[in-house]
Amino acid sequence: MPSTFAAAWAIAAKDLLLEFRSRTAFLSSLVFTALVLAIFNFARDPTAVSTTDIAPGILWVTFTFAGLLGLNRAFALERENHALDGLLLSPASRTALYLGKVVANLVFVAAIEAVALPLFALFFNMPLLPVLVPLAGVIALATVGFVVVGTLMSAIAVNTRFAELMLPVLMLPFLMPPITGAVQVTSRLFGGRPFSEVSAWLKLLVAYDIVFIVLCVLIFEHILDE
Amino acid sequence: MPDNSAYMVVAYVAAAVLYGGYAALLWWRTKKLKR
Amino acid sequence: MTAIERAERMLRRSSFFMALGLVLMVAVYVRALRFTPVEATQGPAQKIYYIHPPSAWVAFLAFGIVGVCSLLYLFLKDPRLDRLAASSAEVGVVFTTVVLITGPIWAKPIWGTWWTWDARLTSTLFLWFVYFGYLVLRSAVPEPGRRARYSAVLGILGSLLVPFIHVSVLLFRTLHPKAVFLNPEGPGLPGPMLATLLFSLGVFTLFFFGLVTHRYAQATVVDARAAAEADDAR
Repeated sequence: MPSTFAAAWAIAAKDLLLEFRSRTAFLSSLVFTALVLAIFNFARDPTAVSTTDIAPGILWVTFTFAGLLGLNRAFALERENHALDGLLLSPASRTALYLGKVVANLVFVAAIEAVALPLFALFFNMPLLPVLVPLAGVIALATVGFVVVGTLMSAIAVNTRFAELMLPVLMLPFLMPPITGAVQVTSRLFGGRPFSEVSAWLKLLVAYDIVFIVLCVLIFEHILDE
Repeated sequence: MPDNSAYMVVAYVAAAVLYGGYAALLWWRTKKLKR
Repeated sequence: MTAIERAERMLRRSSFFMALGLVLMVAVYVRALRFTPVEATQGPAQKIYYIHPPSAWVAFLAFGIVGVCSLLYLFLKDPRLDRLAASSAEVGVVFTTVVLITGPIWAKPIWGTWWTWDARLTSTLFLWFVYFGYLVLRSAVPEPGRRARYSAVLGILGSLLVPFIHVSVLLFRTLHPKAVFLNPEGPGLPGPMLATLLFSLGVFTLFFFGLVTHRYAQATVVDARAAAEADDAR
């Protein structure tokens, strides 16, 4: 019987392999992200508002849209093929199933963010290199929170009517703390502010991640039918 | 004393409409159930 | 007594309870509007205070009940818990809506601005969003067992979200200038005003329970009849 983590990796790998073979979802999400960034350029008055003021918001709203797109595919694919039943019969525990999905979604969303970030730097002339490491850190923290809750929500949403609408309606309230924290930290990073100003926000992000990872892992099995 | 009684009226009316309306909705549902 | 007869009796009794709550609400209105003095510096608009905080207290109480019932449901799988959670959510969203409407109407004359992103109003706004998600999720899942499980999961997650939102806003606002307002609640309410507020708090809570028990009774009758039909069909 494979251990929980080994099983999770296996599930994640299978998901990502499927994703890689079709590539359509990933490429479309990338293009969507680029489009959102481009539209944002025109969603402001460049003479009245400086880019640095609104850049963090633009970045995180863009990440949010892209993430929401990525999440829905996770279980939709399974439902199409009734593959979920097969997975439940396997020796893998429900926790492994959940963690596997989370990892797969994380990789997917992280890949989109990895392309979106340089694009953002390009479109809005933001010098990211000096703050790249801490920026990557805060992106990781917020994305983990987002994906952990989002994977759970998409498992719920996929079994409802109007699933594509249900997911954002359920998810977005849960994104308020990580996005608020992420934008505040990103803004301070772009502005070259000292670390002490962002430590409270970072604690919030970490606390959110810990609470919701534990909660979602414990609660996930209740979503699956007996 | 500022003359802002209009606000008070609007708020009290809005609350009455919502609470009364919901109670009426529940009463109507019960009527349907008893039929 | 059959299950249906018991449920129908609960329905009758709870409708008296609800009617009582409604009558007391009228009493609160009369007392607040006619028999409570007007605050000198803030004017009549201050009287919104007798319906806004009591509604807010109930809105959060209702969601607390949703959270507790959701947690218990996942362990006990008792459909009564699911029915209670659903009833509390439906009634709760009504009270939350009243908070969000009376809040700005009160804020404008007292604070000078329709909306402020202060911790309480923001938490209430997001509470409304979570309630809405909860109710719309329930309406989108036809199968009762699954609906109960999904709702319970969302109820628990939502309960944990609200404190995070509150803390996020508090952090957010320490870095922004506070809204300048004149004495919104006062250093302490004088006697008759405090009495009205407390009376209102009590009545609102009673009214809430009247509404919830009636809504719960309705759900019980519906479920009992459905179960009897299913039995007959066999």
